[in-house]
Amino acid sequence: MNNRIKELRARHDLSQLELARLVGVRRETIVFLEKGKYNPSLRLAHDIAKHFGLPIEEVFLFDDEAGREHGDGSARE
Amino acid sequence: MKKTIVGFVISALVLASLAMWALKGRVSGNIQEIVMFGIVLVLVGFAVYLSVSRARSLRRGEPGEDELSRKVMTRASSLAYYISIYLWLFVMYVSDKTSLAAHSLIGAGILGMAVVFLFCWLGVKVFGMKNE
Repeated sequence: MNNRIKELRARHDLSQLELARLVGVRRETIVFLEKGKYNPSLRLAHDIAKHFGLPIEEVFLFDDEAGREHGDGSARE
Repeated sequence: MKKTIVGFVISALVLASLAMWALKGRVSGNIQEIVMFGIVLVLVGFAVYLSVSRARSLRRGEPGEDELSRKVMTRASSLAYYISIYLWLFVMYVSDKTSLAAHSLIGAGILGMAVVFLFCWLGVKVFGMKNE
């Protein structure tokens, strides 16, 4: 799963710390999200997307092929 | 804030115990004791680092703990538990092959578990938790 947090943050002129405060997490969590080292909970994904005024799927981009590689595709069967 | 204070208090108590032990002259200075001292100091350093990082977050207006830090702890704990099973098997093997006292082996096992947790925590921090 990729995301557009860095791009959207720049567009909204927000620092990592400001975004972290707005969605109630630590700055480190935003760093991890931007580096793609962590997939957020649905709640956090919703809060971030809501803050940018976009639906979740426009902020977090799901890669179907990568999901299948990690066994995430089994739910669709 | 409570967790931060508890972290500092426990670290201070462990350091005070180490200092008392050393000052009372019960440390013979052999390699085994020096290694144990070093490991305990590293673990205290880790606890202090966690407490300082939590305090800094609180001062910046962020939560002291959030979903990522809790997940890192959970993931590191589960990994450390899994690895510790093999560590205790190794301790049992060593106890059969050597004449070390039981309390030394148990102490080494407990310190080993703490070190394993530290490495698991560092590993999870460095490599992240993608697709979990």
